Amino acid sequence: MVKRMKFNKNVVLSTVVLLSIGLLNAQVLAQSSSVKSAAPSMQTNTDQPPALIDPNIERREINESDIDTEDLEIGIFGGFIAIEDFESSAVVGVSLAYHINENLFLEARYAKATAGQTSFEKLSGGAPFLSEAERDYTYYNLSLGYNINGETFFTDNLVFNSDIYFTLGGGSTEFGGDERFTISAGAGYRLLFTDFWALKVDVRDHVFTSDIIGIEKDVHNIAITLSTTFFF
Amino acid sequence: MKLNPHFLSIVIMASAFFSLAAQANDLVVSIVEPYIDFRTGPASEYPIFHVAEQGETITILKKKTGWYQAMTYTGQEGWVSAEQLGKTIKPSGELLYVPTGSFEDYTKRTFEFSAFGGMLENMTAMSVAAAWNATGNLVAEATYTQALGDFSENKLWSIRIQHHIFPEWTVSPYLTIGAGGINTRPRSNLVQSGDEVRKSDFYEVGAGIRYYFARNMVMKFEYRNIIALTDRDDQEQIEEFKLGFSVFF
Repeated sequence: MVKRMKFNKNVVLSTVVLLSIGLLNAQVLAQSSSVKSAAPSMQTNTDQPPALIDPNIERREINESDIDTEDLEIGIFGGFIAIEDFESSAVVGVSLAYHINENLFLEARYAKATAGQTSFEKLSGGAPFLSEAERDYTYYNLSLGYNINGETFFTDNLVFNSDIYFTLGGGSTEFGGDERFTISAGAGYRLLFTDFWALKVDVRDHVFTSDIIGIEKDVHNIAITLSTTFFF
Repeated sequence: MKLNPHFLSIVIMASAFFSLAAQANDLVVSIVEPYIDFRTGPASEYPIFHVAEQGETITILKKKTGWYQAMTYTGQEGWVSAEQLGKTIKPSGELLYVPTGSFEDYTKRTFEFSAFGGMLENMTAMSVAAAWNATGNLVAEATYTQALGDFSENKLWSIRIQHHIFPEWTVSPYLTIGAGGINTRPRSNLVQSGDEVRKSDFYEVGAGIRYYFARNMVMKFEYRNIIALTDRDDQEQIEEFKLGFSVFF
């Protein structure tokens, strides 16, 4: 009984679809017939009888350049970044990637966060190290990434294409009134819900030399982000 | 997973509409080779789940890197490699042109995007560049460089012309000449009275070598000599070496 109901629903759905296709086709046909009806009226002006077989076959002029290319991937992301000595903060950003081939891609990222206070500032209750403006933490990087393509099986029938990727790149970090060359390296997981829509989880370390707290040292700022991206 | 039938019907109708709208622009090709493999994803790692035979027609839906999503007349959708699709014929009887990143495609490139890492004097420098290939020999390029040193932060932009002496060579030398601007800001902890940004114009000459190594990728090594027209009595001479990577379209 239940199965029968389901079948009926399918029949209804397919009739609706067929009808919608039929209607659209009718519209297209009506348009083309209106074009055709205009053509003979033009011909009547000439004395030549209408040709029985029109030798001029209209070819649809579609070429290779009309193929929709989806090599670019645009996305937004959000997550957390641990800023060495300055607590961890929320981070938001945008990304743009170009897929060179099935494995290699180039990715540009730009993100913003606001750094917290050092434990010294908190415990001493004294003057802050940085002004509010200097606590703005912005960074960009350009990375080369490598995809390890695969599939993710949630159940036997629910399967999505996915990949694990690694990135290595360079960029800059502006923080504490200073801008520093920053090396970034990370790994992530990309789950493709459709051919053009993906969800990514990304862990990335950002290393640069900093002397904000007095001594010069290499700092590691690790960001964990979740992004949604679209291929276009 | 239960789906709302109303939502489903809207989605199906919308997709029917889109597929109809798309059909007007879709490219239909015929298979002349014995068969074509259909994969589940746009990479050679994905399994082959269907084979379309000689004489069948397939509709090309879209492209992702070197892979084309195609549909058979029975409605099977899968991904076909550029290599296999390049052996199909269009309704006009011509072979379908599929860029496979051959050397011929390289010589016919129009746009090129590059990223470099290198040294500007003794600072780490990163550059990006976009180039337009005008004649094969002459290339117009816009570049942006950021060099972050221990004492200053430098931002350089330039517009320049490249001359490729032997564009038909895989390893090919080129010369550049251009003009641009440089912004220098001393590190904030070194300056007491805030930031003082120095701006100067500059001229540059340079030479480089490029190597076409795979598909649409090029490696580059470049040297440029910059003469900055400073406000001071002396002109400043800056040297830069960089190694980079380009993709072309």
